[in-house]
Amino acid sequence: MSQIILLSSDNVEMKVDKEVAERSILIKNMLEDVGETPDQAIPIPNVNEGVLRKVIEWCEHHRNDPPPPADEDSDSRKKSTDIEEWDQKFMQVDQEMLFEIILAANYLDIKPLLDVGCKTVANMIKGKSPEEIRKTFNIQNDFTPEEEDQIRRENEWAEE
Amino acid sequence: MPLHPQTPNREDLEQTWQYLENGISKIMNDLQQGMDMKAYMGIYTAVHNFCTSQKAVNSSSTSLHHQGGVHRGAHLLGEDLYNNLIHYLTAHLAGLKEQSGQFADEALLGFYIREWDRYTTAAKYINHLFRYLNRHWVKREMDEGKKNIYDVYTLHLVRWKLDLFDSVQKNVMDGVLKLVEKQRNGETIETAMVKSIVDSFVSLGLDENDSSKSTLDVYREFFEKPFLEITNVYYQLESKQFVAENSVVEYMKKAETRLSEEEGRVHVYLHPDIMIPLMKTCQRVLIQEHKTLLHDEFQVLLNNDRQDDLKRMYNLLSRITEGLEPLRTKFEAHVRKAGLEAIEKVANENADDNLEPKVYVDALLEVHEKYSSLVKIAFKEDTEFVRSLDNACREFVNRNKVCKAASSKSPELLAKYADSLLKKSAKAAEEADLESKLDSIMTVFKYVEDKDVFQKFYSRMLAKRLVHATSASDDAETSMIGKLKDACGFEYTNKLQRMFQDMQISKDLNDSYKEWMNNTLDEESLKTAVDFSIQVLGTSFWPLTPPNTPFNIPQVITKTYDRFQTFYFQKHSGRKLNWLWHLCKGDVKATFAKSSKVPFTFHVSTYQMAILLMFNDATSYTYEDIESTTSLSRDYLDPSLGVFIKAKVLNIEPASSKVGPGTTLTLNTDFKSKKIRVNLNMAVRAEQKQETEDTHKTIEEDRKLLMQSAIVRIMKSRKKLKHAVLVLETIAQIKSRFTPKVPDIKKCIDILLEKEYLERLDGDRLGYLA
Repeated sequence: MSQIILLSSDNVEMKVDKEVAERSILIKNMLEDVGETPDQAIPIPNVNEGVLRKVIEWCEHHRNDPPPPADEDSDSRKKSTDIEEWDQKFMQVDQEMLFEIILAANYLDIKPLLDVGCKTVANMIKGKSPEEIRKTFNIQNDFTPEEEDQIRRENEWAEE
Repeated sequence: MPLHPQTPNREDLEQTWQYLENGISKIMNDLQQGMDMKAYMGIYTAVHNFCTSQKAVNSSSTSLHHQGGVHRGAHLLGEDLYNNLIHYLTAHLAGLKEQSGQFADEALLGFYIREWDRYTTAAKYINHLFRYLNRHWVKREMDEGKKNIYDVYTLHLVRWKLDLFDSVQKNVMDGVLKLVEKQRNGETIETAMVKSIVDSFVSLGLDENDSSKSTLDVYREFFEKPFLEITNVYYQLESKQFVAENSVVEYMKKAETRLSEEEGRVHVYLHPDIMIPLMKTCQRVLIQEHKTLLHDEFQVLLNNDRQDDLKRMYNLLSRITEGLEPLRTKFEAHVRKAGLEAIEKVANENADDNLEPKVYVDALLEVHEKYSSLVKIAFKEDTEFVRSLDNACREFVNRNKVCKAASSKSPELLAKYADSLLKKSAKAAEEADLESKLDSIMTVFKYVEDKDVFQKFYSRMLAKRLVHATSASDDAETSMIGKLKDACGFEYTNKLQRMFQDMQISKDLNDSYKEWMNNTLDEESLKTAVDFSIQVLGTSFWPLTPPNTPFNIPQVITKTYDRFQTFYFQKHSGRKLNWLWHLCKGDVKATFAKSSKVPFTFHVSTYQMAILLMFNDATSYTYEDIESTTSLSRDYLDPSLGVFIKAKVLNIEPASSKVGPGTTLTLNTDFKSKKIRVNLNMAVRAEQKQETEDTHKTIEEDRKLLMQSAIVRIMKSRKKLKHAVLVLETIAQIKSRFTPKVPDIKKCIDILLEKEYLERLDGDRLGYLA
């Protein structure tokens, strides 16, 4: 199994199996286009060591997952917020790390990981009032009372 | 050197685009120099970063789209990159368009292909690098139903089509067509070039409704259409010229070659989609437009047995609709004529009575064999040609010069030929050979219309072979009956099979008769009993008639005669035995001859035996004596005596006079023969001829019965029927046996009306009377 080196934004090299790294479509496409140059690290300018390690951990665990179905509508993962047990544990990290993982998955183009991250966030929102949500994510309410009232009325239908 | 690529300020469009354009240019123009990971990651990251920047520095042209304000965040950034990419591509393609002006023909093709390859390879890279744009901004635009937004790769194709292809395709196509014309003229060309062009044209076919799918529209309009047009023109000219200077046979070769060349062309460098229209075009120009010429040549080729050319003509004409019909008609007429001529020839060479069945059947088979192999080799066993062959054969088998007097002549001769094969003879055929000869009889049999006539003759001759034990092989007999059964069904061969059964039953009967004799007779009677065997045959299955002459059974065999009847009636009371004396025969030991100490054995008929036995009592009798003792009619007596006189067993007085009243017959004690066994039981030729006539006569009678029973069967099930319909249905029922004539059927209906099986109803209808 050939290995490749990834270089985090803070210049830490990590050796991973090519198969694992290729869970990232970005890396997969690049290796395909540019070709492999052994011993030369692939620069990942947008992800730091801590996050990259997390991402690699996830990729290692999911290295043998079947490719997601081409037809997105039939993708059952999209329709539910169910997360498999390992992934749930994997996502038990502080909020900052969680968002970093989501951003990295988006950047590296690892769709299943992006989905798991977003679902985790969705589960954090589920069943909460706006006030609770603001609290959870530490969001400042920048609506005026009038604006808020209007939005509430517009979305009345969804609360029935 | 930094480990990470330097990326532009994510919030500055101008800077970002400059960075990107620089990278794209390298990919588009210098990809062969290679690309390193850092540059790759740099571009990807720049696109990503720009699209994810919170506050892009809007250029004036795009600020209009940010109506909702930046802080909502629902708007995806990317349109600026997309539009800039379009500008870049348009400029790049405009450059190519200008450059293309310096090239023509093959050089232009080279240029087009080179640039196309470079462009599409770059497109693949750029598509990957702009994947973030594809995944987000482009996807959103397309989901929202915006037209004319494509993923980055497709965008490259769309621009190529609009900014370059539309203005150069005509010149490119001219180059392609010139190249193909060169090849058609026999020059070698670089076919890969054409193939690349085809692939490029095909790639440009985008489905307007679903950009992930491609269509052949662009290819069809800009490649296929002109290609077919030029092909049409080329072959129109060529074939016209060729036909004017060469024979039809040569032209067919040419057309065949051209067609297979074009087919090969499709496989080698054209799109498979063109196969059908291209073949259609070629077939129309090369075959359809010259079909009259081909049709006219067909008879000439047939007359000269030009099998290869006929095959070629068939293959060509089978490719167009209605191309073969005129051939079939001519073929049928030709085969019929050939068959009739062959029969006329043998008929002329042999007098009517002397025509050997073998000669006749061989003549039929030869014609059939010749043309059936032609159908096989040249016409691919085309079912329509097989039918034409069958039609023609049916004609000349049933209506030729030999059959002029009666169509029943064919089945008669065929049955006789079968008899000659199945009868014991010196030149008996090998088994395998025999089998194939029987098969060829079936070939002719298939065409015979009067199958009932064949059946009549065949059963008569089978009866004779069985009665006289002259059959060459039981296996061959069974095999032949099997073939007839396969062809005509159980009913047709029922009687033939029953005849075989009777032979077996008779064998057993002889055994039990011997046993019975041993049990009932005393030793003295057993000793003096004549050696005797018998066949008891069912009257209704065997085509045998009782003798038509009175006959006094000679003293010597009366005991046996009585004894067997006693035995048989004990076994089956109520049955009647008719003794067919004229078919019986026996061996007689003759001790009168002085020349030999060993007694001669004469093999004779029962009638002859009765005559010879008289000479135990005296050595000389008058004709009248013999006539009154045997009470044989002169039809039988005269030929029987004739054989004796010819063999010099008896002498006639006055010498060398004709047998008849007033002559005296004396035993010739000087009788000599090289053999101890002498066969004097020879069938008389006149007898045979009589038999043939009888057979024909009974056929007429049988046919009337067959038609009447068919009519009754039909009426029984239909109760009421129009006269004309009844006639048609009767024909349909009987056709497999013989072709009935309408007046005959009408006659039969009249007979049935008279016998009150049927009644006349109103309106030309008939009713069934139970």
